[in-house]
Amino acid sequence: MRLSLLLLAVGLLAGCSSIRPYPNNLDRNLQIRTETGSGSIFSSTRASVGIYRVDGQCRIEYEGTIDLDKPVVLVGLPSDRLSYLIFSFFSSSLFGHARTSMSQETLLRTRTSYSYQIDVSYRNSIYNVVVREHYPRKRGSREIDLRRLDACREIVARR
Amino acid sequence: MTKHTIWTGLLVSVALTGCVTHPQTAEEFRRAVPGALTAKTEAFEVNRPFRDVAATFRKKAPECLDVTIKTTSRANMSYQVIVTEYKPTVVVTRERAELHVQQHHKSGVVRVSKEPAGGYYLLVADAYPVDQNKTRVQMFAPSMGHGVLIRAVKGWATGENLGCPDMTKT
Repeated sequence: MRLSLLLLAVGLLAGCSSIRPYPNNLDRNLQIRTETGSGSIFSSTRASVGIYRVDGQCRIEYEGTIDLDKPVVLVGLPSDRLSYLIFSFFSSSLFGHARTSMSQETLLRTRTSYSYQIDVSYRNSIYNVVVREHYPRKRGSREIDLRRLDACREIVARR
Repeated sequence: MTKHTIWTGLLVSVALTGCVTHPQTAEEFRRAVPGALTAKTEAFEVNRPFRDVAATFRKKAPECLDVTIKTTSRANMSYQVIVTEYKPTVVVTRERAELHVQQHHKSGVVRVSKEPAGGYYLLVADAYPVDQNKTRVQMFAPSMGHGVLIRAVKGWATGENLGCPDMTKT
């Protein structure tokens, strides 16, 4: 009986957990460079990015999360499709009293043969997410403004 | 956001109003700050053209400050949830670029006086052209708490740090 309850609990925890790893099995067209630091020895900060598929009606479907626990993480996003990225910064104090999270979101349409770079930083309670698109076959890039989900209909209508 | 910050916010409110009314406009806020105990004004010059400072305010304010923060705190026998909405407004004319930040406690905090549309004024930053490459910035802000917000706005003005303030840490 106890074993059954334990197995049920484990199964529920495993099945109901809403966070899952992003499959990341496409050609890597996005490089995410991350730099985090709480600015205090008594607290720490970690970052992650949640990746969502966006359909033509601007509905989103969660695809998975990638922990940004390395200075550089390579990601494969589907080309010529809108993705919705939510960067989350989690802070916790050494003594465990305070835990906070803050997020920055953006829509991103990755184009075939272009590559993308996102610089993510959190330092001394200031965070930043900067998206750049690199042109294929030539040097140079441009910064892409962050766009919230409510800009989706406008983006879809423009195409 | 800590209880300390919320109390500071309330103190700023009371100090600004003399327990009568809150500033209902950005202009009233500017006039009230110099005489307030828990708010301050400071001015500085940056080596950037006015149009760049104005463009940064226009880009970063909606990107960073249009946020809702939920704070949950537990004490021995109590449990408190405070939801705070921040609203940025940027007004740019040829003479100056204004950044206003308002805060509205959606729940968890009692309003002590009439609240203007969009929330109580928390910070106003005005940028004025000095010459082609210099801009003067005057800030009206709380003197206790909200240091992260003040640092971020200064970073936007100088162009040295274009990051967003973590409003959970104000």
